[in-house]
Amino acid sequence: MMGQFFSRPLISTILVMALGLGTGCSHWIELAAPIDTLPPANATVATDARVPLLLETIRMTQNGSSIAPPSILERQVLGAIEATRLFSQHYQSGYTQPMTNQARVTVRLSIDSLVEPHSGQAAWRGFLVGASMFTLSPFISLNYDYGTQMSLEMERWDGQVKHYTAISNGSAHYHLFGAHPEVIEQLKGQVTEACLSSLLNQVIQDSTFFLAGNTQPQDHPIRTVSVAVRHPSSRAIPVSRALADSSPR
Amino acid sequence: MLVYILLVLVMLMPALPSPGHAADPTPQITVGTQEVGLSVGYLLPHRLTKYHKTEQQGPAFMPYWMITLTDPIGGGWYRGHVSLGAEMVYIQFQEPVLTHGVGFAPKIKYTFVALDRIRPYAEFSGGPFWTDLAGKIPEESSQFNFVLMAGFGVSYFLTDPAALNVGYRFNHISNAGTDYPNLGLNASLPYGGFSFFF
Repeated sequence: MMGQFFSRPLISTILVMALGLGTGCSHWIELAAPIDTLPPANATVATDARVPLLLETIRMTQNGSSIAPPSILERQVLGAIEATRLFSQHYQSGYTQPMTNQARVTVRLSIDSLVEPHSGQAAWRGFLVGASMFTLSPFISLNYDYGTQMSLEMERWDGQVKHYTAISNGSAHYHLFGAHPEVIEQLKGQVTEACLSSLLNQVIQDSTFFLAGNTQPQDHPIRTVSVAVRHPSSRAIPVSRALADSSPR
Repeated sequence: MLVYILLVLVMLMPALPSPGHAADPTPQITVGTQEVGLSVGYLLPHRLTKYHKTEQQGPAFMPYWMITLTDPIGGGWYRGHVSLGAEMVYIQFQEPVLTHGVGFAPKIKYTFVALDRIRPYAEFSGGPFWTDLAGKIPEESSQFNFVLMAGFGVSYFLTDPAALNVGYRFNHISNAGTDYPNLGLNASLPYGGFSFFF
């Protein structure tokens, strides 16, 4: 009898605490719908018509100030271009270069990112959470916005240049105990990935422009390869899970 | 009054403009970075009115946890970030009688990052505080009280995740008018300690 009397309040308390802690630790990321409405592009191109690509410069600004692009971003950009399979080889400025007499496409990328961490809002809401002895933490969420605009300049071996631009925005929402630098990195990574996909989708639309049309020997069968943009797996990722599950693999 | 001025200053910091900074000094403390640490100090009494008789004093131990709410904000000398957390407060009153006090206090802190590894900060904390000193002194009657602390300090980062801290707090203990008498106990609390960031 006594066991039953204590068990209900105890179970209820444990449930409420688990719900509060679970909710207070949650976070989720939302990506805004892309501004461009181009359908996903794909094409089939002759393997031997592809030329090397040289990533010459990446210029980056954050909230209007120039910053050095992180090396992980350079790898992300090169990886995304490589995944399209539109180019035969991929070079990066400062490393091994293609031969000077070889036809190639030179790429210059500029990234203007805008970070809005809502610091004032976070401080006031944090104060409220603290003043409530943390009982309000499951009910008060904090926000972090990140947007990026990428401009891609692609110069063909004969000097012809094409420009492409793409914009992507996203927000991370989290409760106090769900705040973690990794959440912000996830947001930035997903926004960058979405923007790159949009940009490269436009490049694929012009895939014939970047092919060397006269390099196909007549006595060889034509081998082809499908080129397309590797799209992010999901546009909006509702995350409400423990941070351990969301660590990069 | 000092408490309110410090609190308002801390809360106004995020409203200042936040120009982009190419390279914040290391270690870079960003949103979600957590901090745990321990501060140890000694309570030195202040009798602020002629009605205050007690010269309470003794060591204080304050383990704490904090989480960073903002990336570095503002520009110039006041560039810094806001953290929120909580600390346990244990005070062993050795004078006027050997008694104890223990409390739990949510805490907010603004840390200035302009000086690289030397980082001054302003902090405020407050919460419930139980002590058996009350009832044995003329200023306080109930064992249930509140503790309010406001002060400033400086952290020196030995490595990216580890820092030594020294600081000063003004310490106030009273029962918020829930019992009579309630003159309050006031003290200075110089302290030192260490922090780990992760």
